[in-house]
Amino acid sequence: MGLSAAMEIGKNGLNIYRVATEVTGENIANVNTPGYSRQRVLLETAPPTTANGFPMGTGVRIATVERYYDALLQQQLVNAATTLGYDTAKSSTLQQLEPAFNEITNDGIGAAISKFFGSWQDLTVNPSGTAERQSVITNAQILTDNFQMISRTLDDSITMQNDSLVPMVDSINATLKDIAQLNGQIKTTELVAGNANETRDRRDQLVRDLSQKIGITFTENSDGTTDIKFADGGAALVTGDTAGVFSLDKITDPNSFAVQLTPAGAVPPAVGVNPTTGQLGATLALRDTIIPAYQAQVDALATTITTQVNTQHTAGFDLNGDPGIALFDPTATNAATFGLNPAIVNTTQIAASSSALLTGDNVNAQLMTKLQSQKLMAGGTLTLNSYFDGLVSKIGLDVASSKNTVSQDEAFSKQLTSLRESNSGVSLDEELSNLIMYQRSYQASAKLITTATEMMDTVIGMIR
Amino acid sequence: MRVTANMSADTSVYNIMQGRRRLDRLQELITSGQNINRPSDNPISSRLLLDVGDKMKAFDQYNANIIKAKSWMQFSDTALTGMNDVMQQARSLMNTMNSGSTEPNERQNAHNQLIELKKQMIDMVNTQYGDQYIFGGADNLVPPFNSTDNTFAGDGTERQIEIASNTTQTISITGDRLLLGIGANPSYGTTNILQTFDDLIAAVGDATTPSDPAAITTAVQSLEPASRQIFNAINTNLSRMTRVDNMSKLNDINKNTLSEIVGNIQNVDMVKLGVQLNTEMNAFEASLSATAKLSQMSLLDFL
Repeated sequence: MGLSAAMEIGKNGLNIYRVATEVTGENIANVNTPGYSRQRVLLETAPPTTANGFPMGTGVRIATVERYYDALLQQQLVNAATTLGYDTAKSSTLQQLEPAFNEITNDGIGAAISKFFGSWQDLTVNPSGTAERQSVITNAQILTDNFQMISRTLDDSITMQNDSLVPMVDSINATLKDIAQLNGQIKTTELVAGNANETRDRRDQLVRDLSQKIGITFTENSDGTTDIKFADGGAALVTGDTAGVFSLDKITDPNSFAVQLTPAGAVPPAVGVNPTTGQLGATLALRDTIIPAYQAQVDALATTITTQVNTQHTAGFDLNGDPGIALFDPTATNAATFGLNPAIVNTTQIAASSSALLTGDNVNAQLMTKLQSQKLMAGGTLTLNSYFDGLVSKIGLDVASSKNTVSQDEAFSKQLTSLRESNSGVSLDEELSNLIMYQRSYQASAKLITTATEMMDTVIGMIR
Repeated sequence: MRVTANMSADTSVYNIMQGRRRLDRLQELITSGQNINRPSDNPISSRLLLDVGDKMKAFDQYNANIIKAKSWMQFSDTALTGMNDVMQQARSLMNTMNSGSTEPNERQNAHNQLIELKKQMIDMVNTQYGDQYIFGGADNLVPPFNSTDNTFAGDGTERQIEIASNTTQTISITGDRLLLGIGANPSYGTTNILQTFDDLIAAVGDATTPSDPAAITTAVQSLEPASRQIFNAINTNLSRMTRVDNMSKLNDINKNTLSEIVGNIQNVDMVKLGVQLNTEMNAFEASLSATAKLSQMSLLDFL
């Protein structure tokens, strides 16, 4: 050991604090990068020598540059993202549907039903009046418009959910592929040297992004890769550097694509899967269950009105003394096809009378008005209006509860994100103080070299 | 806990959004004046509001029916009062002619008057409301009576309309019950009034035909129940009008009660909202100010 050893320690110090400053620089530069985890230089004493007769260190060296990462938090973030993805997708679609059912501030089907039967009430006062008969036809038309508007809104929404599967599946596949690629890079990099911190950050961010769209479970392997499995069924989505592929069967039912999966490492053909979580799960649930359930109720209302009104109408007689024909299109099977019977072309065809001979009789019109107060829906427990009111209230309840769930999810996600930020986020103040610290250390190491040089000069001077 | 500037920024944004959301909601409540603007605001109350709204629409419809029924019955009343006058005139005429007359001119005069009165009677029973003959029953597009014979061309069905939930009211009086004295439920009398007029016309005689005092006496005896028959119809009509009037008031009262329920649910408490708005605005301003101040602080400024 000699002065050169002291210079060596100084030189190491300069190198190491330069690296430390670089790491600080990296942290500062990435303060706003999503998914970035702050890094720190782990210093340790260099191995000692016993050249002096006693063990003594040979300065400092970098043990590793590591990132702050909490695997448990990642797990929770992934789970929370799946729930948030599902609830947000559901809530935003339901909120788009709600205005169509907002009977409170706008007149919709409920008001149209009341007006339709109201026009029959008017007809009871003047059964042969042309204006009153025209009013019945007009109000039947308004009812038709309302049914078709709601039906179209629901249909469009279902189509939109179905169409949105295409970009969603593409995006999931791209993410899976990226994760697999990054896995490969991480494995290769880490075989050669150290931690692939940035690559891991990017991969973990992609895993969190993926979890918004589908439910996943993941395992972190010792070689740095992360394996991902599908939460709905457990199929492998990413194994090492191979990724599975989602696909859509558009042939079997062009209006309702089926989701399929070719698991990682498996050979096609793809097998059908049934995603129930994440955005994908919400989209399928909306398309297959939630919106069709509303549609079924509107359809039930439309078909009941068609059959009941037609039955009563055919029991009466029109102004010409002919038996009444169906007022609403008897071929209608749902709200979309609900409509006035095309055969009704003249106001005289409204059957207000219960007698072929008496044109001024209003008994059939009276019986028609009674349909409104009869419990015709839900197995004879609800009137037409209260059935629809119930549907409106149910949609309101669904929207309200999904809104609540989303705000809870958001609060929970916010909490978790805060925790992650607290652990892994970059604090500029902290980095700045580190920077000063490293700068001082760098200056001290340089001073060490100058001092050693001066000492060396002294020694050389002695020789001269 | 380690806190970074980004955490503070996130928290600020989150809380500012929450504050905005609350302010937005308060603004909606204040500007709309309604607590419930969409079903999801309060699904349970929405259901009640819709139910009440349906009922209120029904009351509106019943009152619209009642208004039309009343004008129908007022038409009937006018016609019936006219018929009553005709009966009075016939009776006073027959008071002076109660044993006929030996004066041909006088007989002819009385004869002509009676024919005229019968015509008036028929004109009145043929009163129209719109294009409907109000005394024609359910066959009301043809005049119920003509001046040549005394047959009823209408139908004995009385018109009923709904004036409240499951409550119907008869609004028409049919010509056969009124002038021919036939039909039951209700019956106003059993006198064939038109026949009575015919009998009187025949009994009084004319310029060439002498009076038949015995026939006059018989016919005049029928005038009294005939008048009563018209009078009964007037009374029935009036009591029906009173009933629908009452029902209209009852409907209004019920509707008012429902309006009150709607008001209780829907009307916002402006004072309360004003206070809330103030509090929220203070909090919001404070959070904006805190964010602005805190986000500027950095160690960088002191190095």
